Amino acid sequence: MSSLAKQIDTPVEENKVPDMYKDLQRRKKVILKNRLVLWAIIAALVTWAWTGTNFSIAFIYTGTANMAAFIFTDLLPPDFSAFGRYLQPALQTVYMSLVGMVISVIFSIFFGFMAAKNTSFHPAIAFTSRAIIAFLRAIPALIWGITLVVAFGLGPLAGTLALGLSGIGILGKAFADVLEEIDQGQVDAVKATGASWFQTMGQGVWPQFKTGFVAWSLYKMDLNIREAAVLGLIGAGGIGYTLQGNINLFQYQQASVGILMIFALILIVEYTTAKIRERLL
Amino acid sequence: MSEVVLETKDLSMVFPDGTQALKNVTLTIKKGELVSIIGPSGAGKSTFMRSLNMLNKPTDGQIVFEGENVLKARGKQLRQIRRRIGMVFQHFNLIKRSPTYQNVLHGRLGYMPSLKGGLGRFSEEDTRQALEILRRVGLEDQAFKRADELSGGQQQRVGIARAIAQTPSLLLADEPIASLDPSSSENVMTYLKNVCQEDGLTSIVNLHQVDFAKKFAHRIIGIKAGEVVFDGSPKELTEGITNHLYYSK
Repeated sequence: MSSLAKQIDTPVEENKVPDMYKDLQRRKKVILKNRLVLWAIIAALVTWAWTGTNFSIAFIYTGTANMAAFIFTDLLPPDFSAFGRYLQPALQTVYMSLVGMVISVIFSIFFGFMAAKNTSFHPAIAFTSRAIIAFLRAIPALIWGITLVVAFGLGPLAGTLALGLSGIGILGKAFADVLEEIDQGQVDAVKATGASWFQTMGQGVWPQFKTGFVAWSLYKMDLNIREAAVLGLIGAGGIGYTLQGNINLFQYQQASVGILMIFALILIVEYTTAKIRERLL
Repeated sequence: MSEVVLETKDLSMVFPDGTQALKNVTLTIKKGELVSIIGPSGAGKSTFMRSLNMLNKPTDGQIVFEGENVLKARGKQLRQIRRRIGMVFQHFNLIKRSPTYQNVLHGRLGYMPSLKGGLGRFSEEDTRQALEILRRVGLEDQAFKRADELSGGQQQRVGIARAIAQTPSLLLADEPIASLDPSSSENVMTYLKNVCQEDGLTSIVNLHQVDFAKKFAHRIIGIKAGEVVFDGSPKELTEGITNHLYYSK
């Protein structure tokens, strides 16, 4: 009882509690001020971008009406007689994606192992590999396609190489990052048995790398199908090329078959890669 | 018993950031000895051990293992030295996604052609031997499981099995029981000691538990701040010395 009375009587305790509360209020005010400034900046940026794009609700309304008219009068009904004409290019798109993926996987394994600090032979090699990968990634597949069509002419070869090259940029980085995250202890343990470089990679690194490798490679296959469809528009082969031809000749009902097939193709490939991933991992 | 297996002379190691991890460590390890190195965390026990098979490179001094100069060894010669030195790690360092028996087979890599080993084409003889070693450490039922499905104590026994598969002449164990509970620790240390005795192995075990060191080792070396401050039999390790090792500045 007396100790409790003492506690209540001590002036220090009484002073401390309101002090801290005021401090809290002050801190809250600062945070609130910062938040308001931040929101004001975001709002200003959005307004700026909004006016820059001429975005207006009225346009959306008329645009939607135009689009509906286009879909129902021009695109529909699809002229399924064009199906046969699209089948070959659709398969070509699959080939392009697959070969493009294989090219990028092969080169990415090499560049990825050289780029990862823990598997590379020398820091200079790691830096150079990272630079090459970054360069290839900085250029989109579409730009590679335009360049390669000039070099190799119209057709699937240019498209396949474009996918392969831009793929090294993505997979090379992904592989290098996966490799840099593996457990070095496991690698050390294999090294300590007297294993050679190749044995250390095969028995110590590969088991840890495998899942990331499979997942990323299959993901690249998914991406390739989408990109391959677009690459056709610049004449780099595949289903997009035929689609472009139909659109140029205002054969929209045939073009809609192409659009549906691209849609189906993407779904089929994604389903298949998902199944393969399930099986392998 | 008097044949020298390992000798270090004035072994020093300075890390790139300037930390001196080892200071003139001079030791002689004889055949058949079970030596335990004790000392507080950060004293340099692991650095010393990892220097012996060149997992890290000492900055100065000399290591002679069975008459060979370890620090001068490169490429094939270094790999042939490493395959005669088995190593057991604190965190087991098994390849978690590979089956247990394959982890034991990794002990054979140093004896195989590079390509064959890298692709995991182990011979029937090696495989039979690996399975036999697993039986020796009491893990025949776990042989085909993934390594990370095993308990900590079991994983460490696989670690021992991997080292034994190398048919080494020296076994290094770097804090083999630091991540294990007391009963698994006892169990793992017993397996380690038995295996060493049965195969006539020389072994060096880093420990920070003094009681385990006293119970299992023939000889105890105390390291503090990178320097050897005690070298003697378990009986000679008095409480005063232990206190000096762990508590005094």
